[in-house]
Amino acid sequence: MAVRRKLIKERVPTPERPAEERIHDFKEVNLGYTFELAVKEAERCLQCPVNYAPCIKGCPVHINIPGFIGKLVEYRDDPDKAVKEALQVIWACNSLPATTGRVCPQEDQCEMNCVMGRVGDKINIGKLERFVADYAREKGIDEELLFEMVPKIEKKGQKVAIIGAGPAGLTAAGELAKLGYDVTIYEALHEPGGVLIYGIPEFRLPKSIVQSEIEKLKKLGVKILTDHIVGRTVTIEELLQEYDAVFIGSGAGTPRLINAPGINLNGIYTANEFLTRVNLMKAYKFPEYDTPVKVGKKVIVIGAGNTAMDAARSARRFGAEVIIAYRRGPEDVSARVEEVHHAKEEGVKFEFFLNPVEFIGDENGNVKAVKFEKMKALDERDKRGKRKIVGTGEYVTIEADTVIIAIGKHPNRLIINTPGLKVERGRIVVDENLMTSIPGVFAGGDAIRGEATVILAMGDGRRAAKAIHEYLTKKREGQNA
Amino acid sequence: MPYKILDKKELAPKHVMYKIEAPHVARKVQPGQFVIVRAFPNGERIPLTPVMWDREDGWIVLITFVRGKTTMRMANELKPGDPILNVAGPLGNPAPIEKFGRVLAVGLSAGIVEVFPIAKALQEAGNDVTTLHVAPAPMAILKDEFRENVSRHIFEGFEIQEGWRTKEIVAEIARRGAEKVKELLSEENFDFVLTVGPAGAQKAVFNVVKEFGIPMHADLHPIMVDGTGMCGACRVMVGGEVKFACIDGPGFDAYKVDWDELIHRVGFYTDLERKALEEYLKSLRGE
Ligand SMILES: Cc1cc2nc3c(=O)[nH]c(=O)nc-3n(C[C@H](O)[C@H](O)[C@H](O)COP(=O)(O)OP(=O)(O)OC[C@H]3O[C@@H](n4cnc5c(N)ncnc54)[C@H](O)[C@@H]3O)c2cc1C
Ligand SMILES: Cc1cc2nc3c(=O)[nH]c(=O)nc-3n(C[C@H](O)[C@H](O)[C@H](O)COP(=O)(O)OP(=O)(O)OC[C@H]3O[C@@H](n4cnc5c(N)ncnc54)[C@H](O)[C@@H]3O)c2cc1C
Ligand code: SF4
Ligand code: SF4
Ligand code: FES
Repeated sequence: MAVRRKLIKERVPTPERPAEERIHDFKEVNLGYTFELAVKEAERCLQCPVNYAPCIKGCPVHINIPGFIGKLVEYRDDPDKAVKEALQVIWACNSLPATTGRVCPQEDQCEMNCVMGRVGDKINIGKLERFVADYAREKGIDEELLFEMVPKIEKKGQKVAIIGAGPAGLTAAGELAKLGYDVTIYEALHEPGGVLIYGIPEFRLPKSIVQSEIEKLKKLGVKILTDHIVGRTVTIEELLQEYDAVFIGSGAGTPRLINAPGINLNGIYTANEFLTRVNLMKAYKFPEYDTPVKVGKKVIVIGAGNTAMDAARSARRFGAEVIIAYRRGPEDVSARVEEVHHAKEEGVKFEFFLNPVEFIGDENGNVKAVKFEKMKALDERDKRGKRKIVGTGEYVTIEADTVIIAIGKHPNRLIINTPGLKVERGRIVVDENLMTSIPGVFAGGDAIRGEATVILAMGDGRRAAKAIHEYLTKKREGQNA
Repeated sequence: MPYKILDKKELAPKHVMYKIEAPHVARKVQPGQFVIVRAFPNGERIPLTPVMWDREDGWIVLITFVRGKTTMRMANELKPGDPILNVAGPLGNPAPIEKFGRVLAVGLSAGIVEVFPIAKALQEAGNDVTTLHVAPAPMAILKDEFRENVSRHIFEGFEIQEGWRTKEIVAEIARRGAEKVKELLSEENFDFVLTVGPAGAQKAVFNVVKEFGIPMHADLHPIMVDGTGMCGACRVMVGGEVKFACIDGPGFDAYKVDWDELIHRVGFYTDLERKALEEYLKSLRGE
């Protein structure tokens, strides 16, 4: 019987930089726990039994959450050991904890049903996970752990090609390399990382974290070919001649546009273009960096997901007045709670039940206003459980010199046009082993799900690696027989 | 993934040729396709066109027209042996290489470099190809290459007048281009016209071709960032639909293109581009 501890109802807060300070730069907003604070928060966890713990059930990759949290408390006198043990528990299910700890929608996943919620604040699982990963990285504990594994890797002599270096592809690559396969990633852009590098801003996920993950992969022997666009530079058919299996993790990178007059006016960006200019190309440092971006005085961001929050908060950092306009109501905002909270703190305004119907331009082809129809919600719900909305016939026009469209994305077109690849509604169709209609070709992440999350993409990468391992083991045995 | 510069030459004022080791592109590239180049760690990604290539030896030739900071920095700072950080591609769809009959391929200003591989392929496909290059007189490039590879090459040059800036030069290219095309189409029969060059000049040529009702293909140059269909910067209105030039193009039926919108869109960053160039020139002067 465990020692009964006093219930500590309140979360140990993580230090954050004040809004007035942070809207002038792109440095990280949340500073994370120190070891002492992490232990204090870890102590609040009731250590529910593994087969019951609702946090584990809520995590899409089923991390043994009480397990890793418990290590922090157990080895509180030896921080390095505590972190190493905790990291080992996390790594059994998740190889990108520094990222997921920062970007998972914890409130809908691991933290949703945490039993502490019945008496006080839920355990801050995300920040604890982030702490473990950050501390390990800063102290080199992650590399140490990784290289304890490396000499044990038995080379299989088979080659796997991975398409796309986002969370799905990176995870699949890492897992397959650890299993002894010769892995090569084909990435279209000049830097690996996928949305983690071109989409999610520095103030939420520092690029150095993603780069450190990639360095680790390289040390595992994974080769990364940037500037290679599968479908143009090389086709899947050609890859199959050179490799024993292929994994598609090409994401959902095609931005959706609004079918309304004026969509091509200057000053109307897709969130992807805006964020790519700002994050990947570092336009916030123009002209030190060559890529320009134009952020006017009044910015309207259309949409209310994570992408919209990232675009809005980035625009705020250029000194603009920013409005988020969403066609539904506040209860349907899909962004993480923390992002909405941070956006509000940073002075982003929210306008609900506005549906854009026209973009109005000036004589030079620059946008100057957006005309919206006011919407209202009905009691009836749609398939996704959101209240249906209808137009009211009333219109309102709001001035803006920059508009950012953040209403979602489709899977990348180049890949889905592969002959023989079965695709439904733009998504690659896979079986229960994540194999596509082409034997030996697997897929995961946003390419099969449409827009989803980092942890689901990562989970797919892991699952696919396992399936590929089984597939290639059979292939090996077939050849040896 | 750095790619080595094997050779570099100034072909004419402001026209710089780079021969670059890029086997992945050389292996696959087709006329009409392009690459995205990133030359410096803090640099832009810019689209350029492989003009010639060798599939076996794994090199491609790019020719830049020095117009802004990136192309100028490349001209000033890169030398043979240096690496280019990124050459992504090939990108875009190949140009239609079919049997049209008599083809007029018009390169407006530096657009001529992109005309070269397409014109050559069209000639090889059995067409009778006339190429027309409209540019300031000292900027005649690739004359010999064209003469070797197509039926006829015409260079329509003009002198730059005192006080002309880019705006006036581009206007003159448009005027001369339209005039010369009108002359050719009036005197001879053509079955297909193709253009590459500044949007305004392409539009002027299109307005002439339209009068004759000849099918016309235009390679468009909207601003691009990734070149893979991910950002939408390159969107153009074609036939009333939004198209992404990098994956749906870059070539389109000229009759369907919304030219005025394209002209607005390519000019969106002019002020910032000028600022970047001025700062760069200042740094060169040691200010
Ligand atoms: C701005 C933004 C904010 C987000 N915020 C969150 C968040 O807070 N939490 C969360 O969980 N999720 C968030 N998401 C969603 C999350 O990022 C994605 O679900 C996740 O990145 C999907 O991973 P992936 O590996 O499937 O694809 P991606 O991350 O999209 O990576 C795909 C990679 O494949 C490459 N590629 C594409 N086509 C080709 C080709 N033909 N050849 C070679 N390479 C190719 C791309 O360049 C890219 O690098 C956000 C998304 C965006 C855009
Ligand atoms: C498919 C395609 C193929 C091209 N091929 C060639 C080529 O073979 N040789 C060549 O000299 N030029 C080519 N261009 C144009 C070339 O990309 C621009 O000259 C280059 O980007 C200018 O950069 P800069 O910094 O020197 O000039 P800047 O001062 O930045 O820009 C000058 C002008 O170039 C255009 N431009 C700027 N940035 C971009 C961009 N990212 N994408 C597209 N256009 C831009 C704009 O019209 C701008 O006003 C091509 C463009 C496209 C779209
Ligand atoms: S991976 Fe995401 S959902 Fe799972 S425990 Fe970590 S933060 Fe929670
Ligand atoms: S549900 Fe909450 S209290 Fe229980 S183990 Fe998980 S984090 Fe700890
Ligand atoms: S350049 Fe980004 S979509 Fe075409």
